[in-house]
Amino acid sequence: MFGALRSLDGPAADALLDVAADFSPRFELHAPDEVVVDLAGLERLFGTPHAIGEELCRAAAARQLRLRIAIAGTYTAARVLARAESPEEVVVVEPGAEPIALASLSLTLLGHIAHENDPPPLSIEISPAKPRRGLATDREEQQRATADLLATLRRWGIRTLGALAALPVDGVAVRLGVRGISWQRLARGEDPRPLRLEVPKERFEQALDLEWPIDGLEPLSFVLGRLLEPLTAHLERRGRGAAVLHLRLHLVTRTIHERSLQLPAPMRDVRTFRTLLLLDLESHPPSDAIDRVVVAVDPTPARIVQFSLLTRPIPSPEQLSTLTARLAALMGEDRCGSPVVVNSWQPGVFAMKPFSPGSGIRDRGSGRAPDAQCPCVALRRFRIPVPARVRMEHDKPQHVTIDRAAAHLGSRIPDPRSPIPDPRSHLGGCVQACAGPWRTSGHWWCDRALTRVNNVRHDARRALQAAESQSHREPTSSLSLCVSVARTRCEEWDRDEWDVTLNDGATYRIFRERATHAWFVDGSYD
Amino acid sequence: MAKTGLAAVEAALRARKLDSTLTTARPVLETTAAQSAVERLDRCLEGGVPRGQLSEIVGPRSSGRTTLLLQLLAAATRRDEIAAVVDTFDCLDVASAASAGVELDRLMWIRGHSSPASLVDRSIERALKALNLVLQAGGFGMVAIDFADAPLVALNRIPFTTWLRIQRTIEGSDTACILVGPRPLARSAGGVTLSLTGCPQWHGVGDRNRRLAGLELAVRVISPRRTGGEVTISAISFES
Repeated sequence: MFGALRSLDGPAADALLDVAADFSPRFELHAPDEVVVDLAGLERLFGTPHAIGEELCRAAAARQLRLRIAIAGTYTAARVLARAESPEEVVVVEPGAEPIALASLSLTLLGHIAHENDPPPLSIEISPAKPRRGLATDREEQQRATADLLATLRRWGIRTLGALAALPVDGVAVRLGVRGISWQRLARGEDPRPLRLEVPKERFEQALDLEWPIDGLEPLSFVLGRLLEPLTAHLERRGRGAAVLHLRLHLVTRTIHERSLQLPAPMRDVRTFRTLLLLDLESHPPSDAIDRVVVAVDPTPARIVQFSLLTRPIPSPEQLSTLTARLAALMGEDRCGSPVVVNSWQPGVFAMKPFSPGSGIRDRGSGRAPDAQCPCVALRRFRIPVPARVRMEHDKPQHVTIDRAAAHLGSRIPDPRSPIPDPRSHLGGCVQACAGPWRTSGHWWCDRALTRVNNVRHDARRALQAAESQSHREPTSSLSLCVSVARTRCEEWDRDEWDVTLNDGATYRIFRERATHAWFVDGSYD
Repeated sequence: MAKTGLAAVEAALRARKLDSTLTTARPVLETTAAQSAVERLDRCLEGGVPRGQLSEIVGPRSSGRTTLLLQLLAAATRRDEIAAVVDTFDCLDVASAASAGVELDRLMWIRGHSSPASLVDRSIERALKALNLVLQAGGFGMVAIDFADAPLVALNRIPFTTWLRIQRTIEGSDTACILVGPRPLARSAGGVTLSLTGCPQWHGVGDRNRRLAGLELAVRVISPRRTGGEVTISAISFES
């Protein structure tokens, strides 16, 4: 037994689905204003079909929804009856009496429901010259075919569903084809197919209201473990993994502390989730005690991995994400990843990306040939160039000394109060051999205003670092972020570079900024 | 009497599973090696840098420590291994690494802070913690920690048990751990110490056509359990 619920207030799909879900898990939404519910078995709960219909009306009224309800043995009959004009709010047709109940109804009622059951065209021409038609065009064509069929039947004198049902099947098939037979079955109240049940969206969420507010990460870790275990079991049952992990902490101050973690690969490991959440909360702790904990995930199809005997095993994404999170908590947010070469001539420019060795196409062409027997000389770059004084003779550097007077610039100058002597404080000496200068410049074409802003920022960073070195405080991660970001920004540079070997046997790259004539040590060849 | 005492000490070390520190009482471990792809060096190292052991690359500034480290990392990443570098003072030049042939996608770069001298101790401590995390995670073919620019005073303050703990962490694994420093620190019995001296090579005679052509690296292999040796490698400047 099926009930067709039709909204008299226009489209109200959500409300209709809510009413249907209150009575049965088996329902199908046919249109925004129409839902069909399988009412089998509800007689034992509510009694007669009329009583069921009245209960449905009451449930709809509670949601401010006016319905017309038809109950019949087939859902097609129920749908047609729900569309028919009737003074009654609830129409009930006993099972088996559907053809009789439908016989007097107008044929036009069928037009509304027939096109969704119409068979596809028997011959499909696929021509590369013809582009595929859109859905709107298909719908227009179906409506035109329905109108044509209705006009044909009207010309034959067929006005009611009963008249169509009484026609001989063979004759209908010969004259109207498959579409005609389909219409005739609908006119008899026969269902063309079983219900396509609406599957409610599954929510992967666990929540826990705490009897006493908790403060601190250690007690929270137990709560998280308790919430994550059923959540991951649920994910495993459904063959899903988590793409994004959400944590909502309802605080005693009635505010919500919300964190979302983007996972590098679909995963469902309780320990990994708990570790990642705790490490994240260590760096972003809630401001007050916690009243309620909600953990939710965005599900995604689980990762299916075919391991190979021919390739080296690498740590799983769970292990790597945990390691990365731990390293980020220890060293700073942007201090761990894979380096990326930037397509620029700017000295020392680089970028960072998350470390994911298993993803992407490997580019073996970027480096040298694998069989190269000669290593390449590496430069150890001073991320902040060390200011220096260089004595020039005959346009060649003769002596290099660290410029202690340039401490106000905030570079890595040896701190006289420090008990540990900086190895770079010994940097300097007579030049034994040198080569240069090589002039390099770039980004002078950039927006001057932007460059000025960057310069101001750079000066501010240097001043901040100088202040930090004065106060013996640890540099903050934000500072390191700025310095590293500054290298990737569009900053103008114009300098003359020299390679020099000093009398300590070490070879350095030094450069002179052409705008300020200031000398710096860029790094050492090592 | 002395022999009995020595035997008792060795037995006590074995009982505490510290026998890997013995240089004479145990034969060379059957460990695989991480090749450097430089034939002469690999021959001298009897295959390469031993896996599951802590090895060192030491030498003064411009002796070619970073050059050799990048060469080892390049060879490791080309073998489809993943590698990690704990860059204590953030000195890695990405362009140099790419020129050395390191597959950057397979390199985890953990950047320390270019901190003032007063905070060097903390930087070293953090770098060691990061190294410990990476080694405990496992799965890396090569893990390196760079102390090349660290002051000796600060390095001498690191307790010797630190190196012993690192050695125990990687023992039996496929990871070759490399420590880059100004002088030998760990002196692992199972690993090797590559002591480097470098000499810059200049090309051209005139002022205008003179350039740095490369470095001549003299690598001395020191190991208590292996036959040492010395080999000379020419490193070319990547701009040449």
